[in-house]
Amino acid sequence: MKKLITNRLFLLSILLLILVFRWKIVCYSFLLLFYFIKLFFTDYSVAVGQISFGLFDYFLSALLIILIPAVIIIKRNSFRFLLSGISFTSITIIFLLIIYIFAPLIATSNPEFQKNISITKLLPPFSSVNEIYSLKNRDESGAYFTLKQMVVKNSFDEHVIFADSIKVDSLITYYQKGQSHSLSISRAFHPEGQFEISRKHFLLGTDEFGRDIFSRLIYGARISITVGIFSVLITFIFGLLLGFFAGFTGGFVDSFLNRISEMFLSFPMIFLIILIIALFGNSIISIIIVLGFSGWMSLFKIVRGEIITLKEKDYFLTAKLLGVGNFNLIFLEMMPVILVPVIVNLIFQFGNVILAESALSYLGLGTGGIYPSWGSMIESGQSYITHAWWMILFPGLALFFTLFMTNSLGNRIKIVFNPRLKK
Amino acid sequence: MVCFIFILLRISPGDPSLKFVSPELSPALAQKIKESFGLDKPIFTQFVQFISNIFSGNFGVSYDFRKPVVQVIKNYLLFTVTFSLISFIIQLTVSYFLALLSIKKMNGFIDRLLGRTSLVLYAIPSFVIGVFLILIFSEKLKLLPASGLMSADAESLSGGAKLADYVLHLILPVITLSLGGIAVFYKYLRDNLDDVFNKPFVLNLYAYGLSKKEITKKHVIPGAVSPLISIAGVELGVLFSGALITEVIFGLPGMGRLTVNAILSCDYPLVIGCTFISGILIIISNFLADLLKAKLDKRLVSGILN
Repeated sequence: MKKLITNRLFLLSILLLILVFRWKIVCYSFLLLFYFIKLFFTDYSVAVGQISFGLFDYFLSALLIILIPAVIIIKRNSFRFLLSGISFTSITIIFLLIIYIFAPLIATSNPEFQKNISITKLLPPFSSVNEIYSLKNRDESGAYFTLKQMVVKNSFDEHVIFADSIKVDSLITYYQKGQSHSLSISRAFHPEGQFEISRKHFLLGTDEFGRDIFSRLIYGARISITVGIFSVLITFIFGLLLGFFAGFTGGFVDSFLNRISEMFLSFPMIFLIILIIALFGNSIISIIIVLGFSGWMSLFKIVRGEIITLKEKDYFLTAKLLGVGNFNLIFLEMMPVILVPVIVNLIFQFGNVILAESALSYLGLGTGGIYPSWGSMIESGQSYITHAWWMILFPGLALFFTLFMTNSLGNRIKIVFNPRLKK
Repeated sequence: MVCFIFILLRISPGDPSLKFVSPELSPALAQKIKESFGLDKPIFTQFVQFISNIFSGNFGVSYDFRKPVVQVIKNYLLFTVTFSLISFIIQLTVSYFLALLSIKKMNGFIDRLLGRTSLVLYAIPSFVIGVFLILIFSEKLKLLPASGLMSADAESLSGGAKLADYVLHLILPVITLSLGGIAVFYKYLRDNLDDVFNKPFVLNLYAYGLSKKEITKKHVIPGAVSPLISIAGVELGVLFSGALITEVIFGLPGMGRLTVNAILSCDYPLVIGCTFISGILIIISNFLADLLKAKLDKRLVSGILN
């Protein structure tokens, strides 16, 4: 019964859901890619000027949403790990990965997008407002740019107007908080413009600037996971190198490094992190570096301890006396032994980093200023706590699920690889 | 650690004396202000002065409060220490009784429920708990105040009412600070009790005909609690840093908020004083835990003496 829904089925159905709900933007992305390649061959300099991270984000996620299911279905025998039954942990991991990769397709608007704040601010979840969207006429020369305007969501978009109510006759009359404005259909924004009147849905409501919380949540996941992965990478490299160094050389270097790591462990890291970030500014890179370097002590202790016991082991001495090279000694004899505790430690460290990043953002020291971050969303929600509970509930839940997932994943790996814990 | 902080402070961008120099002042006067801060001397002299000052307990004058750092910290330190200790005691007692409750029937309903709950509580960041508690108890139910240490009219209240006011304001922060620690202690205590119960000597005691209650009280609990002390020493250190965020959420006048504000306003003497004193607090708490451990386990003392 438990194996009825496998991870693979779950992953594929989520991707299918995205395709069903967002087929329009996927198709447009492909069309845009096609136009972009055409532009690249006809007008090289313009195409180079168009290259940006945001644009390629769309191309990549549109390609991947077709490629990933195809690869999974064609090479179905290679992905054995996807065949196990779903659990809370695997569902959260799949969700986070999908959000991380397909953020531009899932998000309904740019996380920083705000327009007509008086109408869109502090809307509760599942609410919607009227939206007037003006399109340029499609002509052959500007097709690329017209399409780009439709696909790539910018933080500023003059073609969108939100209104309380809209009346269309010879003029378009729309009301914003009692004030009426009118647009003539014939010449509003663009000479041969056309209008599209629809309703904009805010799935999880909006914040105090009328920004869509759902989109901010999705891009916030990107920030959290990026910070987590890169900090853990720094921790991994730093801790492993120092641990190897201390364990191998021994003597004075070993005891010196050990003392330093104990010194850092005895001091509450959060004070030091806040101090460093406050002094050197809080860009995303400085946060990644600081959080990465603040976690090396436990990894260092683990690696050092393992290596010191390994050095005494008979099989290791045998390999050494048989003349195995240093490179092989490290990668064939040592790595497999220390890998499991290191991985478990890194997974817990990943959770710690995400927690620290959001706590820093909450204190106003994180990446929050420039990027949407779960911590800063909660912080801004706290000022509107009397009438906007959705501003803190959803980022709080997202944070909780992510941290819970990392904890249970770490515990599970620890149990799987530790025969003594098995009952 | 102090050296490390000193190096960090000096290589960081931003000159604290600039805060007191308006652009309209003459350069000579600006230089004079800089001299009064001692920032013009060579870095080594500054360092020697810095170290000697710290060991004589003189952290200098806070730039923001215009008072000696020690006096500023004194006002805030008392609050943080009491706050942390209250929360610490609550953590220990609650987790102790919960662990006893779940040990009564291993793998029973209560045990599993508490195990799950502790896992969940462990994963929620303290600021999320805090904000949710504010949302539920002070916004929706209007039961408890959301922030501050006393009401606006607290001065006019009599002694008893004043105390009640303090307690009301502290309920939510203490819960916020305690929940994470309760989860940690509970898990640790429960696993320890489980471990000790499965030891052969317990079976032996059963064979002697002792009741389960007596075994638990006299033989299992002492064995399970003493390893907790070293964890508790570390956890007290975690508590001080946890108090930082809790104080910010609830707007309480504690060391944590003082530190954050001092860092944000480039108040270097205050930053150094705060970090140094919190470091010392943590070292003291670890030391006390070691002392307590030695008191409970005489073998440790003789091991050290030999």
